[in-house]
Amino acid sequence: MEFLLENILNLVGFLVGLVIGIMSYIGFRNTGSPTLFRLTIAFFSISSGFFVIWSGYMIEDFVLKSGNIERWIQTLGIVIQTVGYFFIAFSHSIKSFFPKSRYFRSIGIFPLFLVSSVQLEHIFRSISFILLAYGAIETMLSYFENKNKGTISVAVGLALLALGEFLGWYSFLFPESILYSISMIIKIGGLLALFIPISKVPLTKIKFDEGLE
Amino acid sequence: MAEYRTHMKIIGDILATTRDDLRDEDGATVTYLIRKANISHSRISRILKTLVSQGLLEQVDSQGSNKYKISQSGREFLQAYYTFTNFAENFGLSI
Repeated sequence: MEFLLENILNLVGFLVGLVIGIMSYIGFRNTGSPTLFRLTIAFFSISSGFFVIWSGYMIEDFVLKSGNIERWIQTLGIVIQTVGYFFIAFSHSIKSFFPKSRYFRSIGIFPLFLVSSVQLEHIFRSISFILLAYGAIETMLSYFENKNKGTISVAVGLALLALGEFLGWYSFLFPESILYSISMIIKIGGLLALFIPISKVPLTKIKFDEGLE
Repeated sequence: MAEYRTHMKIIGDILATTRDDLRDEDGATVTYLIRKANISHSRISRILKTLVSQGLLEQVDSQGSNKYKISQSGREFLQAYYTFTNFAENFGLSI
């Protein structure tokens, strides 16, 4: 059951991220907007992250048959997704996410070499949670300003992804519980909520750049 | 309090003015665009120069003064601008 949910989640994440990434890229090519460029990086990263984890499960299931996904593949996928979540949060003006001090910047990366990939996974899950929660709050605040129905769907989507990420991170305390499966179902719901408003963008009316056709 | 407008929004406002507000086929004068877009002369001059060089606006010499008309590429850009403004708004962002 967990394996099936994991595969559905990663495939849905890969496809939703890819579609939104492509649409952002088309928008960037047509308007040159830096916001759309950041969204392009964000959603291509999210899509790639889900794809890496999905590939890991497939390789494990059909090639290695070890019964457990290689931990570093899962960690790598989560790190790539976190980069995407960072760019969503960054688009909402996180301008001082990294410490400004040169000293902190120089040692900031050092502790990562002292922890195992399991701990790294939990560190990046918690970072993802913070970024997603920030993105959800900012998007919700934007909804109060523009009253755009699509905005509330994206806010709910980001909030569900944040909740799923939190439960996924918390589930390491209860490894055999249903918590991890619930977190995956919530994340699938979040990805679908993200996709709903994007699916209504009338792209057919736009004459795309020659190179994109 | 005045609303903050991005560079892209100002460009959108200028193109929308040249497309929607003008009955005069000759185009809009710089003075008219300054009033509608609410920006300084030096800034609008730079933007108009860029828009003409990109083929989004056409410069027309009418009775000794320069006027600006939206081109077909400008109309397509404006349509894309509206579509992707809506797309970005879904994320609570502006382009």
